[in-house]
This record gives sequence, C-alpha cells and structure tokens, in this order.
Amino acid sequence: MSNLASPSRDLWSYARIWPGLAKWAGWGLLALIYAPLAWLALLSFSERPLSGIPYPLSLTNYITLVKTPGWTGPFLISLGIAVLVGLITAVVACFVGRAIPRSPRAGTIVLIALLPLFIPGVALGAALFIFLRVLLGLNLGYWSIMLGHVIWSFPFALIMVLVLTTRFDHRLLEAASDLGAKSWRRFWDIEFPLLRPAIIGAGLFGFLLSFNEVQRSIFLRGTATTMPIWNWTMASSQQSQIPIIFSLATLILAVVLPLLCLVFWFIFVRIEKGR
Amino acid sequence: MMRNLYQRLNLADGRWALPCFIGVWSFLVIAPLVVLVVFSFFQTQFFMTVYKPSFYTWNDLFSSGRFEVTLRTLRIALTVTVIDLAIGFPFALWLAKGKTSRTIQAMALALLTIPFFIDLSSRIIVWRPILDEHGLINNFLLASHLVSQPQHWLLYTEWPVHFVMVIDNFPMMVLPIYLAINVIDDTLIAACEDLGGSPLRVLRDVILPLSLPGILGGIVFTLGSSLAAWVEPSMLGGGFVDVLSNSISSAYSALRVPMVAALSTFVVVLLAVLLCILALVMRRFVRFGEVFRSMKP
Repeated sequence: MSNLASPSRDLWSYARIWPGLAKWAGWGLLALIYAPLAWLALLSFSERPLSGIPYPLSLTNYITLVKTPGWTGPFLISLGIAVLVGLITAVVACFVGRAIPRSPRAGTIVLIALLPLFIPGVALGAALFIFLRVLLGLNLGYWSIMLGHVIWSFPFALIMVLVLTTRFDHRLLEAASDLGAKSWRRFWDIEFPLLRPAIIGAGLFGFLLSFNEVQRSIFLRGTATTMPIWNWTMASSQQSQIPIIFSLATLILAVVLPLLCLVFWFIFVRIEKGR
Repeated sequence: MMRNLYQRLNLADGRWALPCFIGVWSFLVIAPLVVLVVFSFFQTQFFMTVYKPSFYTWNDLFSSGRFEVTLRTLRIALTVTVIDLAIGFPFALWLAKGKTSRTIQAMALALLTIPFFIDLSSRIIVWRPILDEHGLINNFLLASHLVSQPQHWLLYTEWPVHFVMVIDNFPMMVLPIYLAINVIDDTLIAACEDLGGSPLRVLRDVILPLSLPGILGGIVFTLGSSLAAWVEPSMLGGGFVDVLSNSISSAYSALRVPMVAALSTFVVVLLAVLLCILALVMRRFVRFGEVFRSMKP
C-alpha cells in the first residue's frame, strides 16, 4: 500500500464544487422534465398553441375539446382498464408477495417476476401479440390490453409489497394463532392491516401505469382504442388536433398529479411509519 | 364437508399462491418470449407466415440496409446512457450521502418517480412548440439578437431525439443507483476517511464498487428503453432518424410477423450482449458477492 498516504495528489477532489455540481446538474435535468409540463398547461390556454408564444390566452381549445367527439369513449375505457389492472395487481401482488419470503428459492422467483422490467416494451408487446394472436388465434381487444398492463405493472407492485413482507414480524401471526385465531381471521385482523399501505400503493401504481401505457397497448389493441393510443394517433397524424391534446393532457395532469401526491404520501409517510 | 375442504386448501395461508403464480407467469411471460424467438426463424411469403425453420428472416434483417439503422440505434442509445450516467450517478450520490435532509430526499424521489406515470406522447409533443422554427427557443434567440436566422437544427434532427431521450430516461438511471448507494454502510465511508482517504479514494475504493449493482440496473433500464425508443425518434426526428423500433412498427403494420419477431429478439439480444460485456469488464474490478455483505444491517 505505497500509494495510501498521498492525499496531496488528490487535493482537487476536496473542492467544494463537486457536490454542488452534482446537485445542480441533477436538479437541472429534473427541471427539464417538469418545465415542459408547465409550458404544456400554459399553451393549452393559448389561442395559437403552435406559435410558441402563449398570448393571447383563451379557452378556445377547451371549448373545441368539449365539442370534439371521440375522446370520451377511450377515456372511460382507459379509466375502466386502469381500475381493473390496479385491483388485479394489488390482489395478486399481495398474495405472491406474502408467499415469496417463505420460499426456499425466493431469489429466483423474484428474478422471474421482475423479468418484464428488463424486456423493452416494444419487444414484450410484440411477443404477446405473436403468442396470443398469431399462435393461439385469439381475438385481441380490451382483455389483451389489460393483460399486457398487468404484466407490465406487476413487478412494480410486487417490489412495493415485498418491502413490507420481507421485514414482517411473523411472531405476530404466531401470537394470533396461540390466541385461537383461524388462518383467515389472522390474515384479515393482523396481516392485512399491516400490509395495507403497500397493497394500496401497489394498486395505485397499477392504475397509473396502466392509464398511461402506450408501447405495449399498440400491439395488443386489436381494434380497441384507449386514451394513450388516441393521444398517440392524434399527436403523430394531424397537426390540427394537437391543441386539443394539450388541453386534454392538462386535464389529465390535473387528475393524475394529486393522485400521485397521495401515492407518495402513502409511500413516505405510511410505509416509513410501518418500519 | 365444505368446511373440511376449505381447511385443506387453507386459502388465507397463501402457500398455494407461488405455484399458481409461477404457472400463470410462465404461460403469460416466458412462453411468449420463447415463441418470439422461435417465430424469428420462420418467414413471410405472399403475406402469409410460412412455418418452416430457416435463417431467411435473419438474413433479410442484416442485408436490407439495417446495418446502418442498427449502428444508429446503438450510437444514440449508448450516447444517451453515458450522458445519463454522468449526470445521474453524482446526483444519486449527493442525494443518498450528501447530508441531504429526509424531506428533500423524499421530494426528489417523488419528482423522479412521477414522470413514469405521465403520458409519454403528450410529454414529448410539447417539445415541438418549444423547439420548432417559430418556437419558444427560436423566439427567444431572435429577440435577444443572439442569432439572426431561426435555427432549424433544433427540431427534426438527431439532436432533439438525444436531448429528450436523456431527459426521459434520467429517472430510470438515478433511482436504482440511489437505492444501491443508500444501503452502503456509513461507517465504511467514515473508516476510509479516517485512514486519510481523499474524496476521490472514497469514491473509487468504497462507493463505486459497492454501488455497482445499482449502476448496472440503471444502465439496463436506460439502455433497454433507449434501444427500443420509439416515440422520441418518430415525433422529434421527423422521419430523419430511422431506428430499430421504426423497423419493428413498419414490419408490424405490414403484418410481417417473423420480421417483427426477429427485430424484437435482436433488440433483446443486443441489450443482453451489451450487459454481458459490461458485467465482464466490471468483474475485473469487483467481486459481486462481497457487495451484499457490506450492506447496512
């Protein structure tokens, strides 16, 4: 270890500038994520949203949006699919997440369950399309979109549930058994309340991931249309429709952002307390 | 009788969940991926899929000018990943070990996670009125007399594709690295400092080796999503940035199923090969088994 005591060579690494640089570069990139969203919201009130200058302001786009038919159907369908996906992922993640810590091959099972995270969305969409449509000959539709969304959001939900189940104190369950509780009652009265923040978080994650999913849906849609697919076709085809998308995206943000704050309140306040 | 059956199944116990899950999951996730690879060895003739194994589709994939497309996809994906790593790793380090308060950490994590849930097309489409020739940036540049002509390269070139992909993939790079750095035991860092290690030595000999799983994870997610990126090149590239995912979607609309399969398999294989190279290079510097032993209890 001849080079251990030679701090003079690394003096530059003591400079105060490095943490500051790291911090502000990161915040800068975060700002670049959020500033366009604010700009989008502002442009949605503009009379000429494609001109780059938001003035004069008006509600024209929102009035056109209300008069334009065709988006309410996909919107409601996306909402329905997202609710179902949220419910399914929450329930499945709850049961699988409880069973995994007790399994002798927990590591392998978690890896298999997290597989969809590592496969690019287009590839997984194509794989499911070929499997369901070409090989099994099924008619694709809302059900296959939903299936794709469940597969996509399940890994996230599972991670959330595992955070709580891996450090779950099993003595609590033994105590309940000793006091004469049957297994079902033990689950509802002891285990479920303790896991509830993670399960609700998992459901909300499933809902939000499904509500905005487009890459897999395009392969799995059949002839069905969801909100993100409608957005995508409008955005990539007709210039004249773009102002409507701005107002629609703003409305959706107004719904999604408060929901997300709720999710993070659950994660950081409730789960932290559960530690 | 019913009660007996119920007891035997023991629904609330939940031991049945894992075998069921593995069964369903292999049918829904693993089987389609296998089928995907198998289908890439079939071919399309007269708009029909011919189920006879051959390398025809793979030959076609590499012969029809796709080499250039593959190189471009790889170049864009690697550039984006390197930039994200260069900004993401220091930020994650600052967030986890920079004496940052709990509230700021929670806020940054929330801000990093929220973009996952916002519709990608509307997030990307908004860059058009910002970057185009009558857009916000050009208006600003012209008004401040920095340039005399509107800048056309700001939109519909490779530049905005890179730029927006760096922004969109940033959270995927930071989150895994943050999680990995966050579990490093503070006493190891303190020990290194007490022995006279400079911040550079702490970084190189303690933090970097111990956060490698997170760095690898961040690279997987960023590379994977930028290799298969689709929305950014088609919306901001204006047809001039042809990448592999464009080939996938055009093969899909032409119903050339084996080509879709071959291209998708190719993207996954490309990702796997890049990761293997990375893992081999990194293995020279760290033993992965030791990483887990040094975590906080």
